[in-house]
Amino acid sequence: MESTHFQFALSELNLNVSQIESVMGYKQGESQETISDLISEVLKETEAICNIKGEYRILSDIQFNDVEKTIEINHLVFQIKKIVYGLIKKSDSIAVFLCTAGEGIGIRSKKAMKEGDLLTGYIYDVIGSEIVESAADLMQNELEKTVISSGKKITNRYSPGYCGWDVTEQHKLFELVPSNFCGIRLTESALMDPIKSVSGIIGIGENVRFNPYTCNLCDNKNCIYGNAREKN
Amino acid sequence: MEDLLEKLLEAVELGKVDKKSPYPPNLKDQDGAYELAGKALEQGCKPDEILEKALIPAMANVGNRYSRREIYVPQMLMSAKAMGGAMLHLKPFFQSGETKRKGTFIIGTVTGDLHDIGKNLVSMMVEGAGWEVIDLGVDVSTEKFIKAIEEKPSAVVGLSALLTTTMENMRKIVADIKTKYAGVKILVGGAPVTMEYCKKIGADFYSPDPQGAVNYLKNLAS
Repeated sequence: MESTHFQFALSELNLNVSQIESVMGYKQGESQETISDLISEVLKETEAICNIKGEYRILSDIQFNDVEKTIEINHLVFQIKKIVYGLIKKSDSIAVFLCTAGEGIGIRSKKAMKEGDLLTGYIYDVIGSEIVESAADLMQNELEKTVISSGKKITNRYSPGYCGWDVTEQHKLFELVPSNFCGIRLTESALMDPIKSVSGIIGIGENVRFNPYTCNLCDNKNCIYGNAREKN
Repeated sequence: MEDLLEKLLEAVELGKVDKKSPYPPNLKDQDGAYELAGKALEQGCKPDEILEKALIPAMANVGNRYSRREIYVPQMLMSAKAMGGAMLHLKPFFQSGETKRKGTFIIGTVTGDLHDIGKNLVSMMVEGAGWEVIDLGVDVSTEKFIKAIEEKPSAVVGLSALLTTTMENMRKIVADIKTKYAGVKILVGGAPVTMEYCKKIGADFYSPDPQGAVNYLKNLAS
C-alpha cells in the first residue's frame, strides 16, 4: 500500500485575517483593529514555527454492513454510525488521511497562555486549527484530482469524534497506517500529538458526492464548529 | 469616587488595560484599569468597593454579553487582561487578608486531555467574580484534585474535558472526590458535556458557558 505525502508552506494555504476572525465568530468588519492587528502579527510569526504535513493512503479492501451501519476496512470494523454511513456507503475505496500543522504552534499557544497572554495564546490556537483544516482541504483537492481521471468522485472527510462516530475508533484508524504516519502519535485517550492534527476517512467512488453542508446533518448541539457557523 | 469606579468598570468592560494600551481607540492616552484602580485606592476607596462596584460588575457584563453572543472570546480575554491590571493593586490586600475572596475554586482539565482554552476562560471569569482560583492545568489526575482539596476543603471544584473519551475520566474523578469529600461541589463543562451527563456522573452543576459557572458560584456564596 503506497502513501501519498504532502508538505505545505503556510503561504500555500492563503490564510488571512478575516478568515481567522470569522472562525472566532466575527462577522465581516465587526472585529476591532487591535484584534485584527494581533492576528496579523501572529500569522506572520506562525510561518517560522509550523511544519505542515499531510499523508493519505487508499484502501480498497472494504465492506459495508447496512444493518449495523459499519464499514470494514482491511478487516477492521468501524462503527461509523448512521450519518457517516449514509454519506460514504456508495464508496468503492476509502482514503485514510492524517494531516498536521506540526508541534510548534501548539507549544507557542500554551507558552503565551502560561505567561498570562491568553488572547495571543487563543489566536495561535485558532490559527493552528485553521492551518490543519486548510491543509486537509488542499490534500483533499489533490486526492480529488487523482481519482477524477478514472471517473470517480470523493466524499467529504469524516473523522472519529464527529457525527456520532466514537472518538476511540481513532485507535483502529491508526492501525491502518504505519506508525509515525505523518509524524503524528496517538495518546491513550485518542488525542493526537501534535494537538493541531486531523485524521479521518474520505470515500471514493463513481456514485458518491461531496456535501458542502455537513453541519446540518449532525445533531451534536454542543459542537464548537456548529456553534461557530451558527454565528456567521 | 463613584465617577472613578464607573470609569474603571468601563475600562475593564472595554478591555483598556493601562494608559499605554492603544485599545479602544476612543480611550487612547486615557487611564486604563491599572491607573484607575491605583487612583481609587489613593483616594481612599476600599479594595472591597473596587471589587464590588467596578471589577465584578464589569466582568459580569462581559460574561452576560458573551452568553448572549454579543461579543466573542477575544473581547472577553481583553477584559480579563484589563481586570488583571486592576488586580495588581488589589493582590496585596488579598494576601494580607484585609480583603476576603468569595471562596476558592479549584479547576483543571481531566486526565488524558490537554485542551485548556475553555478552562482558562472559566478561570478568568471566576477570578473576575472575586474568587481565588487554583488552576491545576491540563491532564489532571484524581490524586492532584484530591491533594488540592485537602489544602482547601471548602473549595468548589471545576472539571473540564473536550473529548468524549476524556469526558469518561470525569466520571471517575467525580466519584473519587465525592467518596472522600461528599460535600464538595463539582462543576463540569466542555464541548461534549451536557446537563444529563452531569447528573448521570453525580456532579453538581453543568454550564455551557463561563457565566453560568459564575452565577452558580455566586448562588453558593450568598
